[in-house]
Amino acid sequence: MSDSRDNALTTANRRIDNSVSSLISRIQVKRGSGRMVILLLVTFAFFAALRPGIFLNPVNLQNIGVAAPEIGLLSLAMMIAMLTGGIDLSIVSIANASAITISSLYTAIATASGAEAAEGMALLIIVAGLVVGLLCGAINGLLISVVGITPILTTLGTMQLFNGLAIVWTGGVTISGAPAVLTSIGRSTLVGIPALFLILLAAAALVAVVINRTAIGRKIQLQGANAVAARYSGISARRTLMGTYLVCGALGGLAGILFLSRNPAASADYGSSYVLLTIVIAVLGGTNPNGGFATVAGVLLATLTLQVVSSGFTALRLSDYQYAIAQGVLLVGVMVFDQIQFRHRRRASSVTTSQGAVPAAPGSKEDGQPQ
Amino acid sequence: MNALKRLRGANNEGILLAVIIVLVIAMAMASPAFFTPSTFFSLVRSSMVPLVFALGVLLVMVSGGIDVSFAAIAIFAAYSAIAWSSGSGIDPGLFGAFLIALVIGALLGGLNGVVIARFRLPTLIVTLGTQGVFKGILLTYIGSRYISAGNLPPSVLAAGDAYLVNIPGAGYLHAMMVPVVLVTIGVWWMLKYTVFGRGIYAIGGDVEAARRVGIKVVRTQVLLYMMVGALAAFGGIIYVILGKNANPQSLVGSELDIIAAVVLGGASIFGGRGSVLGTVLGVLLVQLINNNLVLVGIPSTWQRAAVGILLLAGVGIQALATVRASSRSTAIHEETVA
Repeated sequence: MSDSRDNALTTANRRIDNSVSSLISRIQVKRGSGRMVILLLVTFAFFAALRPGIFLNPVNLQNIGVAAPEIGLLSLAMMIAMLTGGIDLSIVSIANASAITISSLYTAIATASGAEAAEGMALLIIVAGLVVGLLCGAINGLLISVVGITPILTTLGTMQLFNGLAIVWTGGVTISGAPAVLTSIGRSTLVGIPALFLILLAAAALVAVVINRTAIGRKIQLQGANAVAARYSGISARRTLMGTYLVCGALGGLAGILFLSRNPAASADYGSSYVLLTIVIAVLGGTNPNGGFATVAGVLLATLTLQVVSSGFTALRLSDYQYAIAQGVLLVGVMVFDQIQFRHRRRASSVTTSQGAVPAAPGSKEDGQPQ
Repeated sequence: MNALKRLRGANNEGILLAVIIVLVIAMAMASPAFFTPSTFFSLVRSSMVPLVFALGVLLVMVSGGIDVSFAAIAIFAAYSAIAWSSGSGIDPGLFGAFLIALVIGALLGGLNGVVIARFRLPTLIVTLGTQGVFKGILLTYIGSRYISAGNLPPSVLAAGDAYLVNIPGAGYLHAMMVPVVLVTIGVWWMLKYTVFGRGIYAIGGDVEAARRVGIKVVRTQVLLYMMVGALAAFGGIIYVILGKNANPQSLVGSELDIIAAVVLGGASIFGGRGSVLGTVLGVLLVQLINNNLVLVGIPSTWQRAAVGILLLAGVGIQALATVRASSRSTAIHEETVA
């Protein structure tokens, strides 16, 4: 008896699953990872052809593998926030808060009871950094889901708050010191692949599983695709958003740990250009900034593409400012391109299905309030 | 009851004013140095440029968007005008400098407007992107050199020493206050009494409804962003005049103080709500805190965190009030959520 009920439940669940995913795919323009693979290969070939000596140097390639992970983690966090239709501008500040926590805890313990004792407690110290990330995420989640402030304003405010507290804590200067474990992780490689990059891959795989295979992941997607439908499906927006920003905070905390693995110094101003960069990566990777659609593979590929562009620019002796121009043009260009494509598709599909049911009301997403 | 409501104001301006008064009294009690003419004069002086920027941000917010590129536009326009003048040796005069900067600002703002209105893209993300582009182009192709007072056009430099009121030992009111006040009144008048201004509110309230009553949404938005760009440029030139230098690295990074001021002034990020009076009060509140934290014994490192807390507290109270108001009218509706 219970067997048959379980069976009925699974079929029902599967049916809901299918209808949800077909709904989501109908609402969203498919911005598959195929485009990103091509883009990555093209940019790589472009810079390799222009500056083969510098760009194809193994050291340069390794550098891409070492620099990409922290940006990739932050972009994944941005992607998850965008998936719900929100945004997390505070993510870089969270990462810095985590890095500063670890660095100053380590230094404090090392000066109080010797470097050896501090190394012994390294794991605990690193966990403390992650906890700070989660705590910051919880503050965001609380303000967004319980108090009801829009994500833009919440994270704009907490960005300022976390960053401001970090300045108070450090006095505005760069502090140095990090557990030796982290530094050695930052230097180690596995069959030529930097360990940091493997950490990114592991985290990305975990995020992919959470988004595509768990209940909270489904809820996050539906929340972004159609908040009203999510509410009437009995999904608690409060819990979903809380979960979302907790995951963002955890990813930010992990990114802070990677900051320290690359360079045993932390400051409140580190990575101030990353806010724009992570948004560029998320959008380029196919994330819909209005919510409801994103792929982890797309974001990973976009991270690598941007890192290739960055190191290619360095090889061409172009400045950070020119890189910023490229990012801005890329961001606006991709959004304009997607929008034009979307309109074409909509026009095409409304011609073929002009009679019959309303086509899944994509207008409600695309024509909504500009944020 | 009605009198109370009027005192409170449509966007809680009255509450904001009360907060400012309480804060002033608290600061005066904490520090005897606070209640002096020089505090007042420096507050006015430091509020001038943020107020001009805030008016631009207010316009965008009333239309339902958010703009983070205004600081980049401001320094781009002001620095380009000054750099051209000091490079070519031509002094365009004070009005000439304003004019050049305003045209550049309007063009850059127009670019924002075209992208946002024509393609209906999220304003925050677009302006974040254009901010990077504007700053990058300025520093790469126009100049990254700091222009000191000696190299400013003489007319701009002279304007830096023009005072309305000058009390030796206590401070002065800068002559640039006149154009700032005029622009503030102009924006207030435009928002309240012109078709264009009402159109901005209409678009912010409901784009579709605005379109159906016959407002040309795309054209209004493009014009709006051009105006905001020109306002930013105006603020940028005043910034150069007050500081007597042109530094291409400045201004960008201070956006949040302005956005916080506008939001605290009662403007809604969803559009359709906001007032010039509220914005003026919001700017005064933020500047009051920025200027005088040190005076009451709080270290200046707390400044950034303080503005963040202020913003969160301001929007938090507004959000809670909205939730309470909507649960009162649709109690059944809310039950399904909780």
